[in-house]
Order: sequence, then structure tokens, then C-alpha cells
Amino acid sequence: MSNLAFITGTRKGIGRFIAEHLLSKGWIVAGCSRRNSDLRHQNYHHFNFDISDESAVIKTLKTVKKTLFPIKVLINNAGIASMNHLLLTPLESYETIFKTNVQGTFLMLRETAKQMSRSGGGRIINFTSIANPLNLEGEAIYAASKAAVESLTKTAAKELAPMDITVNAIGPTPIETDLIKLVPKEKIESLVKNQPIQRLGTCDDIANTIDFLMKPESNFITGQILYLGGIN
Amino acid sequence: MSIDKTTLLQLIQTVLKELGEDLEKNSLLDTNEMTPLFGSKSDLDSINLVNLITDIEERLSDEHDIVITLASASAMSSTRSPFLRVGSLVNYILELIKKDNE
Repeated sequence: MSNLAFITGTRKGIGRFIAEHLLSKGWIVAGCSRRNSDLRHQNYHHFNFDISDESAVIKTLKTVKKTLFPIKVLINNAGIASMNHLLLTPLESYETIFKTNVQGTFLMLRETAKQMSRSGGGRIINFTSIANPLNLEGEAIYAASKAAVESLTKTAAKELAPMDITVNAIGPTPIETDLIKLVPKEKIESLVKNQPIQRLGTCDDIANTIDFLMKPESNFITGQILYLGGIN
Repeated sequence: MSIDKTTLLQLIQTVLKELGEDLEKNSLLDTNEMTPLFGSKSDLDSINLVNLITDIEERLSDEHDIVITLASASAMSSTRSPFLRVGSLVNYILELIKKDNE
């Protein structure tokens, strides 16, 4: 079996961190973003495309399989957030958020699972957020998109289990990344206070969860939503 | 991108034959346009059908440079599914290729 992991959204933030983390552990990593990446490593391969573009997803994943290996692990990290009052949210925000967070996750999952089903199975790790279980005000559309990702994760887990593919989702707490830099400081502080473990998350927390889900021994774990910081 | 009907039929029959050998199902070794792929008369379960479809997609891409996705909103319909029989699948693929070329 190959040891190739495909991570979406590797240009910066969590995706970049996870890419470097897996590279340091000897994995071959393919990553993508809409813009160029400055990540340079002999085992890193970057592809520029939009994960919500069906033909681009199909074409890229075929190239990965032909020129590198079939994908063993898919980490559906790419996502966009938007903070706004529901009554002030333009339709365009809804369309953009659902296109990347839901459509992109679905297309990557569908096309990667096809490869995995022919190559002995694999692991798919999606990204949700505590915004969904906490019903965070100001994040109605973002939380709704993550609710869709959670539902997709659970159903995909059932449909793909006979192909030895596990599908789980990680729900991080706020983490110091670009995604939250525009959120008011007081808002983040009050969020953290609502967590049983009251601190900001770190990329290491996410890397640890990914390591756990990727372990060979984790082949009995599927359809799970793993929130960090004690949220449930 | 193009493929003629006879070549496409042969491609699907080859994939079915390989699947039949894997699954030890003789009914898949010698198929024709009327061979059922989906529904109670078919020897394929839903996972076998998914494997068949992904194999066909892969061969069309590798051998004929035809990149299409064999997804259909009526895939699981017992009356309208393009995957009901080998013949309906052939016609469906030819239609998809024609649409892509337009």
C-alpha cells in the first residue's frame, strides 16, 4: 500500500501544519490550494485547483494516482468561514461557503474513495467545527455547512465501510489561524470560556487527532465526529 | 474524445468478465446488451455495481483518454436507472460523451 496523503488547503494554517507534520513522519504528501504554495520538500507535491470544480478534482486525482500513488489518506481540511449576522448575510456568502465546505468535501471524498476502493481501502478525515454543536451566533451559514459535512461523514462511513474506508471528522476549537483573525478578541475569549478545557486549540492538537485516526489500529473507528476541547 | 458503440460494449463486457472471475459468478463471463446490472435480476450487489462503474471510468480514461463521471440522479431508480442493463449503460455513456463534446 502507498503512504500517500492528500491534504486540501495546504497553502497556510492548519493544512500547511499537517502537511509538514506528515512529511516529517515520512509520508508522501500531495496538497492543494487555489494559489501557489511555497512549501518545498522532496516528498511534497502541490496542485493548484478549486476543490469545488468537479472536472479539476477528477483530473488532479487521476494525475496523483498515475504519477505518484493511489491516495491512502484524504484530509479534507480546506474550508472558508464568514462571520455575520444572519439578517445581514448575502446569498453570495452562503453560495461561497457551501461550495467550498460542502461541495468541495463531497467531490474530494467521492473521487478519492473510488481510488481507495480499488487499492485496498483508506482513511478519510473531514473537518467540521464546534460552531455546529454550539450553534454559534454570527456563524449560521458556516455552522450549517459544517452540519452538512458531519452528516456526509456519517453516511459516507456506512456506504464506504465495505470498501475498508473509514470516514471521520475532526471538530477543532478556535485556533490561532487566519480563519479567526477577523473575529473579535472578546468573542474568542467567551467561546474559550465555554469549553470544558479553557484554552485556544493548537495545530498540534489537530495533528495528534489525525495521527490517531490514521493509525492502523484505528480501523474500527468510523463515522465519528471528534470535537476538541471537551465540546460535544 | 470519442469511442464507438462496439468498442464501448466490448470494454464493459471485459470489465464484467474480470469482475465475474473475481466474484466467481458465471453469469458475468458472457454478457450481452440485455444483461441486467442493477435490480433484483442482477447478480451484482450495490458494491459490485460501484466497483464496475469505477473500473469502467478508469478504463475509459486510461485506454481512450475519455474523462467522464458516471454519476446519475436516477442511478438507483428501478425504472429509469441508466445502469439497469449493459445496453442502457452503453447508451448512457455515449450520451455523456456526446454532451461533453458539445
